[in-house]
Amino acid sequence: MEEKIISKSEIGTLLDKLKEAHSIIAPVHRNGELSFDRIDSADEVVLEYSNTRKAPKSVFFPQQEVMFAYSKTESGTQVREPDLEEDVLLFGVRPCDVRSFLLLDKVFGSDDYEDVYYLRRRENSGIIGLACNNPRQTCFCTTVGSGPFNHDGMDLLLVDLGDKYLAEAVTERGEGMIDNFSDASDADKQKRNDIRENAEKGIKPVVVDLEGLKDKLDGMFDADVWDEFHTKCLGCATCTYLCPTCHCFDIYEEEETNNSGYRLRMWDSCALSLFTLHTSGHNPRTSTKERTRQRIMHKFNYFVHNYDDFACVGCGRCVQNCPVNLDIRDVLSTIAHL
Amino acid sequence: MSEATTDWEPRIVAFLCTWCSYAGADLAGISRLQYPTNVRVIRVPCSGRLDPFYIIKALQRGADGVLVSGCHPGDCHYISGNYVARRRFSILKRLLEYVGIEPGRVQFTWISAAEAERFAKMMRKVTADVKALGPAKRLVKDYGAISRLVD
Amino acid sequence: MEDQIRDTAVKLLKDGSVGMIIGYEAGTLPLRASPCVITNAEQTDRLVWNMSCGSNLATYLPSVAKANPDQKIGILAKGCDSRSILGLIKERQIERDGIYVIGMPCSGILDRRKIESDLNGAEILEAHIDGDKLTLSTSEHPASSIQYPVSSIIHSSCSTCQHRTPVLYDVLIEDSSGNPNALSAPDASPYEQVEAMESQSADERWEYFMSEMSKCIRCYACRGACPFCYCTQCFVDQNQPQWFGKTTELSDIAIFHLVRAFHVAGRCVSCGACARACPMGVDLMYLTRKIEKDLDELYGYVAGLDVEELAPFATFRKDDPQEFITEPD
Repeated sequence: MEEKIISKSEIGTLLDKLKEAHSIIAPVHRNGELSFDRIDSADEVVLEYSNTRKAPKSVFFPQQEVMFAYSKTESGTQVREPDLEEDVLLFGVRPCDVRSFLLLDKVFGSDDYEDVYYLRRRENSGIIGLACNNPRQTCFCTTVGSGPFNHDGMDLLLVDLGDKYLAEAVTERGEGMIDNFSDASDADKQKRNDIRENAEKGIKPVVVDLEGLKDKLDGMFDADVWDEFHTKCLGCATCTYLCPTCHCFDIYEEEETNNSGYRLRMWDSCALSLFTLHTSGHNPRTSTKERTRQRIMHKFNYFVHNYDDFACVGCGRCVQNCPVNLDIRDVLSTIAHL
Repeated sequence: MSEATTDWEPRIVAFLCTWCSYAGADLAGISRLQYPTNVRVIRVPCSGRLDPFYIIKALQRGADGVLVSGCHPGDCHYISGNYVARRRFSILKRLLEYVGIEPGRVQFTWISAAEAERFAKMMRKVTADVKALGPAKRLVKDYGAISRLVD
Repeated sequence: MEDQIRDTAVKLLKDGSVGMIIGYEAGTLPLRASPCVITNAEQTDRLVWNMSCGSNLATYLPSVAKANPDQKIGILAKGCDSRSILGLIKERQIERDGIYVIGMPCSGILDRRKIESDLNGAEILEAHIDGDKLTLSTSEHPASSIQYPVSSIIHSSCSTCQHRTPVLYDVLIEDSSGNPNALSAPDASPYEQVEAMESQSADERWEYFMSEMSKCIRCYACRGACPFCYCTQCFVDQNQPQWFGKTTELSDIAIFHLVRAFHVAGRCVSCGACARACPMGVDLMYLTRKIEKDLDELYGYVAGLDVEELAPFATFRKDDPQEFITEPD
């Protein structure tokens, strides 16, 4: 596929052109925080950054969304549905986050179940990624099957060569976006290779080899290890809400008036005690022990059984933001060494 | 959410305690005293029963004003309900105003069973206060913020 | 001080005075410490004490005590944490003689977020504190060091703390840190920030409130970190009836924080654990501080100092102030 050069000043022009046909969602500063949001102008886009605190999964799977709104009138019940047709282009997304979309695709678009809310938004989207030249101390994407220059799931991957970007087309659509730019030279490509090698080496030595982890966890539901680290867990939803691959949700209705209301879907979290509370009052996961075990088992065992992949992209957000520094890498390492 | 037009009338929720304030309201009615119709009354056994949830929920649902009224301190039918309420509401009112809820939207008072005239005056005052503030917008739930619906 | 803590821990575990100790261990990242539970004397080397020990360990007491009813629980407590422990005893969530409190005189916890925002996205690679200076190396300047006077990066909960020595303890660790902040008088009144906000207009205050609330992602880290949020069913989780929504619509968020602040009224000691736990940096303390000030001014009540004293909403005086009452004329 094509590999072209885009100078730093030309990025703005590219964005302006793309903005004509798409809503562009890119990293921007909002209220003191770097996050993915729709842009009004190309100037807002931030491309010198490590990663956002919140994952971009909310583009396809918002924290809350109205599934439908109903209102009862004399002439009958009117139902309104959400607008899923917005043409969106995600710009400047990291490979780990793009990989998370591929994992979410497996859940929301499986043989058993097709989630129209997620899938329509996905179908109406394109992705321009940004390679990681300088992974963070908390990144471990290479441990879970990805990498700082991985372009799976993207239309186009941008690599920062310092004074310009090398644009790698991944799909035909991506090729179409960079038609008018000049080809990358051999020197450019070599520079990209060097930066890539450096980045991959820069990721903290693979924390632990996760080969065989799924099989190991198969027999570990009742292991003692789950007693060792759960007490510090606060039972909040920080890790799950910031995680690019966590996808659990709850559905409930809210009445606005006696005759109208909404059915909402909202993020839920297995870390919260309410998650498995039965209507009888029984809760099979009574403490943080069962819930932290669930997190690890789901991501590194159950999901692998169901979809052949770890439900983790190694972005490190949970490590960075956990209020009590419960480090998933340590947990994995402990288990791997058992 | 009510719209501010020239004929906009505020909708005010009034939580009245059964033994004093509600009885006072009743007496105002029997005495044919005139007062604005903006107030919707919700009767509670005692002002001390009123959980701040009710006040906050009323605001979230679009009430333009909230009034809570109980027996005068010392006269509570349940002896000390209004003393407890006094502390609770004092802190709540200060907190709500601290975050920017306009003073006058949420008000508290004492009205006894015999004070029909006081009740009527209070209704007029609160209605005028809230009318001057305009329709409530702060803390009102905006479903539009979390939905983009196709008609 | 770390050695003293470890020695004390070894003694307590070995002689069976306690069945376990809740303390802090080193974090996996610079400027982090992590709560831990140790159950035997061989594990005591894990215990640390530094300016990143920001969690309020009292939050673990009710559940750990319940899960281990026959054991005495050792716990490290800073000044603020000890006041929370006193509050939990007052509310009968724990028994005084079910715990052994290792008191830690504290000269303040770091505001990691303040440092991170100053570094503007650069990652902290290494950090250490020497006396009154914090020295860092970052991803942008890996070789050189950036320095901060510790006093400039103390958390706002600590810079106005009036109770740096624990109010409740079974043993008090001696403060040998040589830290110039140690046990010195706090620099400002804890209510100064509240007064500054009070002097602004309602519109300005609403704007600030909304800008802080818009950061919240409803993760409930604040609730988890707080020792007084121990309800088996939190009000936001009630669905019969569903009082309030759990969405990130602004009124839903605002109401969660208003009601939570109200629910910890008279119990909150402004330890700051909620603000430090929040991944999004919401200014949580500005609400609780206001209530704290009002309770002090109106009823002379300060939380966490007297276990016999009735909580402010559990009592009343016939002459309680009522200037807030509306008179019709």
